[in-house]
Order: sequence, then structure tokens, then C-alpha cells
Amino acid sequence: MDIIGAQLVNSISYGLLLFVITCGLSLVFGILGVLNLAHGSLYMIGAYVSYSITVHSGQNFWLALIIAPLAVAVCSLIIEMILLRPTYQLGHLSQVLLTFGLAYVIHDMTAAIWGSDVLSIPLPQSLSGTVTLFNQAFPVYRLAVIAIGLILAGLLWFIQEKTRWGAIIRAGLSDKEMICALGVNIQLVFTVVFFIGGYLAGFGGVIAAPILGLYPSMEFQTLILALVVLVIGGLGSIAGTFVASLTIGIVETFCRFLVPELSLFVVFGLMAVVLIVKPNGLLGRQVVKH
Amino acid sequence: MNKKGFALIAAVMLLIFSPFIFSLFYLNLVTEILILAIFALSLNILVGYTGLVSLGHAAFFGVGAYMSAILAREISPNFFLTLFASLAAAIIASAIIGIFCVKVSGFYFLMLTLAFSQMIYSFVHQSTTITGGSNGLSGIPSPLIGSLDFSNPVYFYYLILLLFILIYGGLSLIVHSPFGQVLIGIRENETRLKSMGYHTTLYKLAAFVIAGGLGGVAGSLYTSFNSFISPSDVYWTMSGSVLIMVLIGGSGTMIGPVLGAAFIVILETIVSSYTTMWMMIIGIIFILFVVFFPKGIVGLGKLLLQSFSKSNKLSAISGKKSNALYNNDVKN
Amino acid sequence: MKRKLFLIMLVVFLAVLSACGNSAIQSTSKKEEGGSKSGGTIKIGVLLPDSGVYASLGKHLHKGMELYFDSIDWKIGSKKIEIIKEDSEADPQVALRKARKLIDQDKVDILTGTVSTAVAYAIRDEVDKKKIPFLVSHAGGNDLTRSKRSDYIWRSSFSSWQIGNSLGEWAFHNVGKTMYIAAADYAFGREVSEAFKEAYTAAGGKIVGEVYPPLGNNDYSSYLTTIKNAKAEAVYAFFAGSDAVRFVQQYDQFGLKEDKKLIGSGWLVSEDVRKSQGNAGVGTISSIFWDYSIKTEENRQFKEAFEKKYNERPTIEALEGYDAAKIIAEALTTLDGDASDPDKVVEAISNVEFISPRGPIKFDKETHHVIQNMYIIETKLVNGQTENEVIEIIEEVRDPGK
Repeated sequence: MDIIGAQLVNSISYGLLLFVITCGLSLVFGILGVLNLAHGSLYMIGAYVSYSITVHSGQNFWLALIIAPLAVAVCSLIIEMILLRPTYQLGHLSQVLLTFGLAYVIHDMTAAIWGSDVLSIPLPQSLSGTVTLFNQAFPVYRLAVIAIGLILAGLLWFIQEKTRWGAIIRAGLSDKEMICALGVNIQLVFTVVFFIGGYLAGFGGVIAAPILGLYPSMEFQTLILALVVLVIGGLGSIAGTFVASLTIGIVETFCRFLVPELSLFVVFGLMAVVLIVKPNGLLGRQVVKH
Repeated sequence: MNKKGFALIAAVMLLIFSPFIFSLFYLNLVTEILILAIFALSLNILVGYTGLVSLGHAAFFGVGAYMSAILAREISPNFFLTLFASLAAAIIASAIIGIFCVKVSGFYFLMLTLAFSQMIYSFVHQSTTITGGSNGLSGIPSPLIGSLDFSNPVYFYYLILLLFILIYGGLSLIVHSPFGQVLIGIRENETRLKSMGYHTTLYKLAAFVIAGGLGGVAGSLYTSFNSFISPSDVYWTMSGSVLIMVLIGGSGTMIGPVLGAAFIVILETIVSSYTTMWMMIIGIIFILFVVFFPKGIVGLGKLLLQSFSKSNKLSAISGKKSNALYNNDVKN
Repeated sequence: MKRKLFLIMLVVFLAVLSACGNSAIQSTSKKEEGGSKSGGTIKIGVLLPDSGVYASLGKHLHKGMELYFDSIDWKIGSKKIEIIKEDSEADPQVALRKARKLIDQDKVDILTGTVSTAVAYAIRDEVDKKKIPFLVSHAGGNDLTRSKRSDYIWRSSFSSWQIGNSLGEWAFHNVGKTMYIAAADYAFGREVSEAFKEAYTAAGGKIVGEVYPPLGNNDYSSYLTTIKNAKAEAVYAFFAGSDAVRFVQQYDQFGLKEDKKLIGSGWLVSEDVRKSQGNAGVGTISSIFWDYSIKTEENRQFKEAFEKKYNERPTIEALEGYDAAKIIAEALTTLDGDASDPDKVVEAISNVEFISPRGPIKFDKETHHVIQNMYIIETKLVNGQTENEVIEIIEEVRDPGK
């Protein structure tokens, strides 16, 4: 029985890690309708910047956690202003392709700056201990990830549902002309949302780095995983992303436990099943076709 | 039209004479480009003509490639056997996968095709006894037709060229046929076609199967060409790079994917000899195309031709004429 | 009219072009060109990944080769050594394209390299058909010197079998009688753990369970919980690169190190991953064919020269590059730098024998695979940093070749 409990803790921890990584992508897509394929790259920049900060600040993880996401958010802002803002009239598909081209560019830029060696960020001292649950030692950091994931989810839900900003965002999603007519600067909304999306991607990078490490091509692996979470949850729904993250966490962890041969198979199998049964994802809205 | 025919003859002639002009390395490169062009052409049926962006096309390439590899090793390297068996296998695979995929559209279609192709990838990767696992299958005998051995690169080149011309011609016929027009209609406005009484799902499935089957053919040819196949050719990055070929070349045109395939292969081969940053260069070129020439190399070419003919004949009538021609081409 | 003229001109132009130059049709119909190949330089084609996941391995191999060629001033006798690098991108099909370029276009005399075994298998037929001596400097797939053996392919690095087998018996006597196996799910991981299993069970050990996480797996927590609950005394693991960093770290974080000793292949705690693992690797026992800590004069000189030139520690890949360069140079020296006859070149390679930083090496003329010492090493904490230490040497390990 203990082993089931232990695997459940693993599932939730892994699932919420996925949520932390994906929520930025989900937010940007949900509000702007732009699928940011450079999301993985922003995540990677976050991880690498925090690596540099920890190396130069005597392993200060907390400093990295403050600075790195901001740095990524600024990158994201620059991308929005230089690349995406002048191209909004090209349509969504073109913008998706643009961000994909960007992912290629960022791939080589980070390789040039940080090299291609495998790197890692040590756990912060205060979170490096272990806690015994279900007769097994768990790293405190894993449990911290659970807490961070829950707080982040709560915060995003609160902003989206309970604040004026959230109202504007939801309105912008359903009717752009109307919100413009009401005197809200939609351009500003876009920029801010992209900034926040970048911040969350960078935040995910810092949080995940001590667990997942840093290595070349990490962004594409992350991107694919994030896309799967996004699709299973239903496009543009933070709640859906949350449910999907947990579902994947549980399914994948228990698959690795019960039928490890299918580990590679299971995430995509799950996605195919969800899409066939519920073509709009678990909690997806009917998306209006463009 | 005359101009087009003329360009076509010149291009075909250049291809026919290639073995006399190019050194062995470049001839092999042209062969590879032609094979990948067939692959890109097949994807173009979906992406360019039916408007379904697939990120899982490598699955069918892989099915064809492994089918032909296994048959050549275990039964016989007869070219027709491997080719048609691969075609059949890819058709079956694409029909099964297609039934599920054509029910969804847009981004969900992209992700569902990705899901299926990744499942096929993991199958290929895990089934070490059949597919050789991550090391792939090597030492595949070169194709035979009767007693004619195609291990000679020049013979093989002509074989590929012949097939390429056949497939190119066949696809041209298909996209200009009423069937092809329905596909284009689906791309432009599916709801309208539905209301006109077309069973669009069936048409989409047919497009999916044609694309999948030809993808399998490309895979089979690739195996015959390289005597080798590995799971990296079934991975999603392969689907991604063929999609880039179609988009950079010009989706929804016949010649576009061919030019795109040539462009990417040459870029990847030549540029990476000089710098490790070839991905960045491909990325930048890709961004430039998306922003400035969304119709790809074909669009760029047309733009150049147009400005060329405009500066030559300044009369208003010819300007209108070429404009009309242009519009006509776009419709086609 | 104009167009017709142009077409005719095109035909004439093509015909003229085809009459001269070295077109494909000529080079496939004519055999042996003879002599035109080398001239005053020896061309060595190096096919290594400069981009993609294996980029850092490729870079270290390059560094090792350059270090050796520097030491002989890029000269063999009167001939100059020229290296032509191509990026294999760790993609077999691209690598095959590049191999063709090196062979057909650049007309290299010798080919060396490949990190990925799939790449080596992919170019195997091309090399065999065109009779280009190919010295494999990393790729360890067993079959390359077994069922896929070729007259022109020689391997100076290692085979999966050598890595896995060398620890089997020792582990039974010194680590424990029951073992759990965890290895990355790809050919290399499977081959190594298979070889280990064979040797370990032959000695009398018992394998109580096996698990094969996918290559590039990011979270091992689920596997680790499973392993923790298994009744094994120790765990034999095969992971490399970023997988090794994550596995060893998570193995430590989940508290498995206390009750199950971690043993495995040398890549688990190799020079390039250890600094990213923090202290997680301490106590790990692994088997490998070279380590930084080998205390011989040859190794001391190699380390010193490498650190002087690059200002960093050599990795095992740097050593592989260094040895490959030396083997090529020694072989060609016996031929006075004449690399024009591939049969003579491979004959010369087969006779190369010297004391490398990894100990004495020579080739098995039957399998074309290197015979070398294997080292069992333990990772220890020295002045707050992890260091490996050789605790046992298994001499002259020869791959069985089947």
C-alpha cells in the first residue's frame, strides 16, 4: 500500500511541475490566440540564466528565482515588440511559424553562449533535505514544487476570474472589437500578457532546472511535452491545463510503475485517446474556427 | 502557359543530364533531394491543398521505409516488391490513422497526427527484434529489377527521376481534377462545401491516404537509396523538417515543395560544413520567408518575375494581363 | 524562335560540360583513378557531431585529435596532415550524406569518428564498398566488430560488451549477490546491461528486476520508488550525459544510496557530468577503459598537455580522439605517409601497438577491435569535490567477437 501512496506523491509532484512549465504557454494561447512555439526556448533561457546567476552569486537560488524570470519576460517583451507586433495582420498561423523559426534561432544562440555541456543547478540549501512519507524519503524540493504549483494555479485563477484585469482579458478573448470600443488599449493588453507569459516560462525554467537539468535540445523536449499538456487540457483554459498536468502526472507515473515498457508511448497515447473522445480537450471550449 | 512549358522542358533536361554534369557526390545529393521532394509533395496534398497541417507525416515515411527494409532483408530486394508493399503498408496505416485524424481540424489535427506518429516512433524504437531499435537497420541490399542491380548510383538516379516525374505528373492531374478542386474548396471553406452536399470527411480521408501512401513510397525509396533506416527518420523532427520544406518552398503549389526540399537539403549539407549554427540560419531564413514571402520560394519567384515583366512592358494592358495570369495561377 | 535557339544551346552546353570534368557517370564507370588521391597531404575525414545532443562529445574528440596532431606538428614524414571536419548532426542520414561528401568529393584517405552507433552502422556499407579505412573512435555498438565487421573498419574505443562485462564478476564478489538493473532504453544501454547480466549471473549473482526508462527521460521518481521497494542489494545502472546527471542526482535525493549501492558504466560519473551532479555520485562504483585518475606516466603527460592547451580537464572522449589520432599517425608512419593503398593502411593499423594514457592497447586482428585494460573506479569526495579513483585493473580485455 505504501508504494501506491509514494507513487501518488510522485505523480502529483511531476504533474504540478508540468503545470508550472506549461501555464505560461496556456495563458498566452488562451488570451492572444497565439501558439508560442518559442515557449520551450523561453523556458530554456530561464534555466540557463538562473544557472549563470547561481554560479556567480555563490549558489544563491533565490536570487536566480527573482531575476531569471524577469530577464526572460524582458526577452519575451522584445520578441513581442520586434517580431509579433508588426505581424499581427499576417494571421495566427504565420505567427505560430514565426515563433517556431525563433526557436531555431534561440537554440543556436544559447549553444553559443552556454556551450553544449550538460549543466545543472544545485538544490537550494534550505530545500535540499528529505521528508519521509509512506515509508519513503522524498526530497523536500519535490514537495515544494507541489506547493508552488498549487499557489501558481490559485493565483492565475484568482486573477482571471476575480480582478478587473481578468475581466478585460476574458472580454478580449471573446470579442476584440468590443473591448476596443470600450476604450481599453488592446495593444497594451497583448503586450502585458506576452510579458507575463514570458515571465511564467522563465519561472518554469528556474523551478524545473534543479530537477530536469540543462542540456542541448532541452527546449524541444519541453515544448512537445507542454503542447501535449495544453491539448489534453483543452486550448486556452488554465483550469484545463491544471487538470491535464495532474492527469499526465498520474498516468505517466503509474505507467512507469506498472508497465515501464510503455513509458515512451503513454503520453501520446493518452493525448490521442483524449482527442478522439473529446476533440476539444478535457475542459476545452468550442474554439471558433478562423 | 508556354513559358511554363518551356521552363519545364529545361528543368527536365537539366535533370536528365545531371549524371553527366555533376560529380558523384552532387548526383547523390540530387537523388536525395528528389526523394525528399516526393515526400514533401505528398505532405503538400494535405497542407497545401486540403489545408490540414500535419506534424506527423514522418510516420508514413517510416512505415514505408521499414516495410521496404524488412522485406529487402528477409524476402527479396526486388524493387517492385518493396515499393508496392511499402505503398500498401503506408496506405493501410494512413487509412486507420486518418479515420481518427480527419474528424478534428486546425491545431487539434496537428497534435493528433503528432500523437500517432510519436506512437509509431516509440513502437519502432522499442521493437528491437524487428526494427533494430535505436541503431536502425543497416546493410539493406540495394534494389533489383530482374537482374538489373541498382547499386550503381547513376542507374538509381534515373530510376528515381522516372518515378519522380511520374508522381509529379500524377499529382498535378489529381490537384487539377474535380477531386482536387473539392480539396481546395475544403481548404477555403469547408462549411460551404458541406452545405453543397459534399461528404467532406470522406474527401479529407482520401487526401490523407494519398498523402500517406506517397509518403510511404518516399520512405521506401529512401531506404533503397541509403541501404539504411533508423528511428530518427520517424521522429517528429523529420515531420517538422518536411513541413518546413513545404512552407518555405510554397505550399499549395506543385513546384514549391520540390524547391523547398532542394533548398533545405542544400542548406543543411553545405552550411553545416562551415558553421555549427546551421539551425540559426535556417531559423532566420524561415522567419524572413514567413514575414516577407508567405507564399514561399514560389511566391518570391513570381514576385521577381512580375516586377521583371512590368519593367519590360510598361503598357497598362500587359500589366493587367500578367495580373490576371497571376490571379489565375493562384486559383489553380 | 528565340526559345528554340536557347534550348539547342542548352543541349550543346550540357554536352560540352559532360565531355569534360569528373562527372558521376565517369567516376562510376571508370574504376581506380590511381595516385590522384593524396599528393603531398594526407586527408583525414572526421565525422563527428558538432550540433545536436552529442555536440559536447564531438567537441572533446576533436580536441583530443588536435592535441596529438599538434605534438607531431601535423606532419608524417614529408607529408602534411589535413583534417576535414564534417558535422554528423547525430543524424544517421545526414551523416551518411556527409560521409559521401568526404569520400567522393574531398577524397579523404582515412575516415574516423562517429559518436552514435547508428551513424557508424549507417555509413558501414558505404565505407566497405569504397574501401576507405575507417577508424571508429567512439561508437561502441557490439555488432560493428561482430556481424557487421568489415576489412576496412577498425575500432579503437570500446564495445558495449567490454563496458558491461568487466564489472559483472567483480560486482558479485565485492558488491552483492542480488542486483537490480536500470538502463536507458536504447541499443547501447541494452547491450551494456546485457553484457553485465551475463557476467554477473555466470559468477552466481541474481538479477531481481530490470527497468529501462526511455532515453532522455526527465523524471526518475517513479522508477526509483519501484527500485527502492525491490529486494536487491545494489543497482547496476547505465545512463550517459544529461540522463546520468538526473539519474544519479535523483537516486541520491530519493535516499536510495543509503540502502542500495549504485554501480554502473563509467559514463554514470564521468569527468564531464560529475561536476553537475554535486556530491550525489559519491560512493558509486563503475567500470571504464580510462579515467582521469589513472596513475601512469603516459596519463600524466596527456593530462598535462591537454590542460595546458585547453585549460580544462580532458574527458574520456578527448582521450579517444587523442588515441585515434595517434593510431592513424603511427600506422601511416610505417608506410612513410603513403595512404594511397587502403589495404596497406588497414594492415598497418592492425599492427599498431603502444602504451596509451589508458594503458597498453593493440588490435585484435580477428575482430578488428581494440584490446585494452578495463578499470573499476570508485567516486570519492576529495577536498569537497568528487574525484574518481581506480580500485581494480582488469588487464587485456578482449571482445569475444560474437
